[in-house]
Amino acid sequence: MNKEISCIELVQGKIDLLKQNTHNTVNSLLEEIALGLAKKVDLKIANGEEIGLLEGIPFGIKDVYMLQGTYTTASSDLLKNYKSSYTATAIQKLLDAGAIPLVKENCDSFGHGSSSENTIFGAVKNAVNSDLVGGGSSGGSAVNVAKDYTVFSIGGDTGGSIRQPAGYNKVYGLKPTYGRISRYGLMAYASSTDCVGPITKSIEDIRIVLNIMSGKDVKDQTTYNSDVISEDLHSATKTVGYFKNFIESEAISSEIKEEFLATIEKIKAKGIAVKELDFFNSDILVSTYYTLAMAETASNLSRLDGTNYGARIEGKNLKDTYSITRSEKFSEETKRRIVGGNQVLSQGFSDEIYLKAQDLRNQISARFSEDFNEVDIILSPVTPANPPKIGESLNDPLAMYLSDAYTVGFSLGELPTLTIPKGTNTGLQITADKKKDAEVLQFANFLNDIL
Amino acid sequence: MSKIMTVDILSSIKGAKPSESVNKLFDVIKNANNNTASVNYNNVVSLDDLREDVVIESSLTEKEIIKENFPKEKDGFLVVAKVVEG
Repeated sequence: MNKEISCIELVQGKIDLLKQNTHNTVNSLLEEIALGLAKKVDLKIANGEEIGLLEGIPFGIKDVYMLQGTYTTASSDLLKNYKSSYTATAIQKLLDAGAIPLVKENCDSFGHGSSSENTIFGAVKNAVNSDLVGGGSSGGSAVNVAKDYTVFSIGGDTGGSIRQPAGYNKVYGLKPTYGRISRYGLMAYASSTDCVGPITKSIEDIRIVLNIMSGKDVKDQTTYNSDVISEDLHSATKTVGYFKNFIESEAISSEIKEEFLATIEKIKAKGIAVKELDFFNSDILVSTYYTLAMAETASNLSRLDGTNYGARIEGKNLKDTYSITRSEKFSEETKRRIVGGNQVLSQGFSDEIYLKAQDLRNQISARFSEDFNEVDIILSPVTPANPPKIGESLNDPLAMYLSDAYTVGFSLGELPTLTIPKGTNTGLQITADKKKDAEVLQFANFLNDIL
Repeated sequence: MSKIMTVDILSSIKGAKPSESVNKLFDVIKNANNNTASVNYNNVVSLDDLREDVVIESSLTEKEIIKENFPKEKDGFLVVAKVVEG
């Protein structure tokens, strides 16, 4: 279909869809900002002015990113009325390229969850089957893209929070190499694995948005300069590996296992060598990730005490005010993670658990380095099973943690990993070595042609 | 002198107790084999590439929003809990 519409019409159409909020994806609508920007775009076009690469393209923002003057709640009660005083670097780059922010999107509170049910805005409903969860923590962002409410959305991925909801809602979601995109203005969950990334309906859109957001930023000292990924996504991949123990695990559903192995056969049939790799067991990966993530979130969220911003419930003295505010205003899952983090950081436990988890993380990274001497790309399912029904995950936190088995390892390794909505019912993860994000997109392009 | 700090005090969360589900994760770490990796593979900040140590003035809008976010205000003053108790 070819049809010319104004930017105002495009933006208004998307806002009208978002206003219905059928899937609980909306924390706040940015109607005034969006229509104001759309008007400017139409004027620029009418005047024949040069327009940016993303000029007039409507996008969504997970509600953990700062956009000056807008509510940024992290889907939490504590920050329900918090307004961003500044704008995140990644978001500013998109604004500079002409993209139009439409909506702050529902997610698990502070990124704490894998289902987008841990939120004060109501559980996000899956785009394919609304009885199922939207996935998380960037559930609202993935569903908005899948339902065409936004052209692309910016999620955040600490242990799989972009890749898993992308898989559950059959769209593309990239966790770039750690440090490729600035985290400045992203509310910190676990700073050593937090990544900014796009969720889209095509690899080309991932490439465009990634290129715009990437780059060194003095406000995030872990960022690095990266090359622009070119339009030519021809893949030179010769060898692909997969973790045998992921596929032989008792936890994987027979459906996903069969689909994954069938995909491997299709790749082999195209003349690409496939190697089975040995890797750490899922319970080690999940436990290492959660130990470190909980320790980091306990530290990062210690600033939320009701003193300078957020809700405050007055107690009889300062410490009492802190603890009443935090007890009443954090969700059960957030409290569970803070307490877990303080447990492993406390005297007597840090050597036995936290430092050992740090050491395990180093071993995991070392193994990845060895593996990438043998193969160009590692393929993995995104999840061991299909999305659960809404309401099932909240009652069993351990099951929820274990459902992250296939995503957390790549986070610990700081590797670039893309979910594509093919290969299994919840998608495939394509991973390359650090800073080789281009190879990930190239191989995804190849898989798109053969699957 | 050592003073034992319980997790509810460390976390500033009233009545907080360790979770059984989370403890199961920690048990996996306790029981894992300990083969120390020889190299630190994680991201570190280079000391040769630090940002300039200069004060950057916030915009007026930023300052106004920061004040707007403050939980309690009285007669133009930002109210905090009493820190020094007599």
